[in-house]
Amino acid sequence: MALLLKTTKQIEAQLDQFLDIVSDAAMLFQLGMEDYLLERNAQFEERLSQIREKEQKADDLRISIERYLYERTLIPENRGDVLAILENTDEVIDNIKDSLLQFSIEMPEIEQSLDDLWMQTTRASVSAVEQLVCAVRSFFNDLPAVNNYMHKVFFFEREADHLGEKLRRQIFALPIDLARKSQLRWFAIHIEKISDYAQAVCDRLAIYTIKRQL
Amino acid sequence: MIFIYLLSGLYLGWSLGANDTGNIFGAAVETRMLKFKRAALIAAIFITLGAVLEGSGPSRTLGRLGSVDALGGAFTVALAAAVVITVMVKIRIPVSTSQTIVGAIIGWNYFAGRLTDFKPLITIAGSWVIAFVLSGVISGALFFLLRRILDRAKLHLLKLDLYTRYGLIVVGAFAAYSLGANNIANVVGVFVPVSPFKDISLGSGFVLSGISQLYLLGAISIAVGIYTYSHKVMRTVGKDLFRLSPVTALIAVMAEAIVLFLFASQGLYHLLLKLGLPTIPLVPVSSSQVIVGAVVGIGIVKGGKNIRYNVLGKISMAWVLAPVMAFLISFVALFIVQNVFEQRVHQELTYSFNSVTVPEMERNGLDVNKLPFIKVNYYSERQIYHELNNTGGFSREEILKIVRIAEVYPLQVDIQKLYSGRMINRFEANQVNDLISLTGAAFYHKWQLQGALQSYEGWQLISNPKGEAEKQHNRDLLNQMELLYRAFYRNGKELGSSLRGSEGKVSQGGGE
Repeated sequence: MALLLKTTKQIEAQLDQFLDIVSDAAMLFQLGMEDYLLERNAQFEERLSQIREKEQKADDLRISIERYLYERTLIPENRGDVLAILENTDEVIDNIKDSLLQFSIEMPEIEQSLDDLWMQTTRASVSAVEQLVCAVRSFFNDLPAVNNYMHKVFFFEREADHLGEKLRRQIFALPIDLARKSQLRWFAIHIEKISDYAQAVCDRLAIYTIKRQL
Repeated sequence: MIFIYLLSGLYLGWSLGANDTGNIFGAAVETRMLKFKRAALIAAIFITLGAVLEGSGPSRTLGRLGSVDALGGAFTVALAAAVVITVMVKIRIPVSTSQTIVGAIIGWNYFAGRLTDFKPLITIAGSWVIAFVLSGVISGALFFLLRRILDRAKLHLLKLDLYTRYGLIVVGAFAAYSLGANNIANVVGVFVPVSPFKDISLGSGFVLSGISQLYLLGAISIAVGIYTYSHKVMRTVGKDLFRLSPVTALIAVMAEAIVLFLFASQGLYHLLLKLGLPTIPLVPVSSSQVIVGAVVGIGIVKGGKNIRYNVLGKISMAWVLAPVMAFLISFVALFIVQNVFEQRVHQELTYSFNSVTVPEMERNGLDVNKLPFIKVNYYSERQIYHELNNTGGFSREEILKIVRIAEVYPLQVDIQKLYSGRMINRFEANQVNDLISLTGAAFYHKWQLQGALQSYEGWQLISNPKGEAEKQHNRDLLNQMELLYRAFYRNGKELGSSLRGSEGKVSQGGGE
């Protein structure tokens, strides 16, 4: 039993670390986006490598948690749900990394007139991820608060969709080549997608929360 | 030979271990919160402790319902109940051991021509209903309370999991202890009046009584049932009967443990007695009924949507079916054991209406003028009952009183019997002295020995007892007298030759 207590504390700490990483990755994405728009390329690349590290660490943590939960048959009733939450949340980090990586590879030329709307969309998506992290934390610690955070995730996801649509309309209203328009649209969608992933995790979380309720 | 008879009790113990442990650890094992081996070990240890330390309370109530007075009868009654339970377990219906054994005992009463005392029967049957409702109320209240606490405590999911595991072990152990204390009466209760075991002194004043040895044996058979068959039943109960989360399973088992404990704990009984509060009858209740009551209680608090009414209906059917089946099987099996295997399944008692018993009936406030023109000797309580009932002059309670007075039960006071049966420790020193002064005295009726002892201070019953303490005093004395009846019983021939060969005095009225 002492071993069980030790393992429990260890996994709790790992879960917290994992969620911290997701939150960090989202904030780094926002900072990276700012750096990119302000053409601070070296700093942008640094952010990307930081996110890569974070993503790697999140994978390691997820695998370690998974192993402990199964080896010690902990939370047998919720184990599958917890692992699904972790895997889906991990996908959000992957998506953040892929987005930034794509910027680094393609280096799309963004018109200055789009900067404000671009950052607004980014902030909405990042906020959705941050609220998702709070919702997942609450799922573990404070079940009644989960709905409150989920509501915020849905709000920011809708906001990101709305701003994203506006952004795409502006892109296609610009007097630039269709190829550039198409490329910028693709990047705008990529940013929106981050909040879509956060919402997808929330949809599952809503079901798991009902299952966890007494 | 006696141990062969005990085998049916052990078979019953095995079926109880296989069936009832599922009610305690089924959900815990099924939700993988506890490994089967650990659950089985905890159940085996605590059921044994409960049976040996606190098992005697419910046994006494069962004894009052029908005192199976021959080993062959006890064997058959236990066998009938065990067969019914095994059949029910095989067809996956959670069955009540308590109800089954009561059905089998009533079957014996009918076969032996004895009257069933409705008072303990009503106590037992009433307790089943109360236990079901009580466990529902307790689990509902616990659920409500725990939900509020957990909402405020903001426990981490993993910590909650850990505490639930600890809780399931502690509460499961408590429930197992209570089950052992409460249900051991079902396993070996019918053997109590015919127990072959003698008290064993373990030094420094600790005595393992013959009855405790009987309970220990019963508990071991329960443990064997747990290890060999309960795994399958745990799965059945954990999956089919209800689908609970570990936390709600913990609440249900907690409610079950509390209810079983309330109906089994002699310690609590005496504490309530001391405080002058109303006591809870010590009767064997059904762990299946109690756990179902607990689940229904949780279901109602949750809004009543998750109650599986079809399962509940099936279980309720079994609660009626099992005792009826046990009654029939017991009756038929007793007939076979007596007539085919030529084993004695009950003592042949005589009931005499003569110059000794009739005046005693009058002294007990019975209107003997209403007695019909009846024979001197009867050989069945039911025969007397039918005859007196047809006259319409006596209530059932009065007829039972008449039967107890008319019953011929030859006794001769012999203190050595208490020593050789190692029962002497159950009596106070002054009580032993009183018995020594009566050495050799012979009686043809139990009430005569009781009357002779009434002149001694240590044996006086309180007439019109007020309050639970005085009632308990009388109950304790009557239990001690039951021991004396068992120890001092002599059959008629023995008593006659003993009196011819000694200077033993026959109590007035031994004129049969």
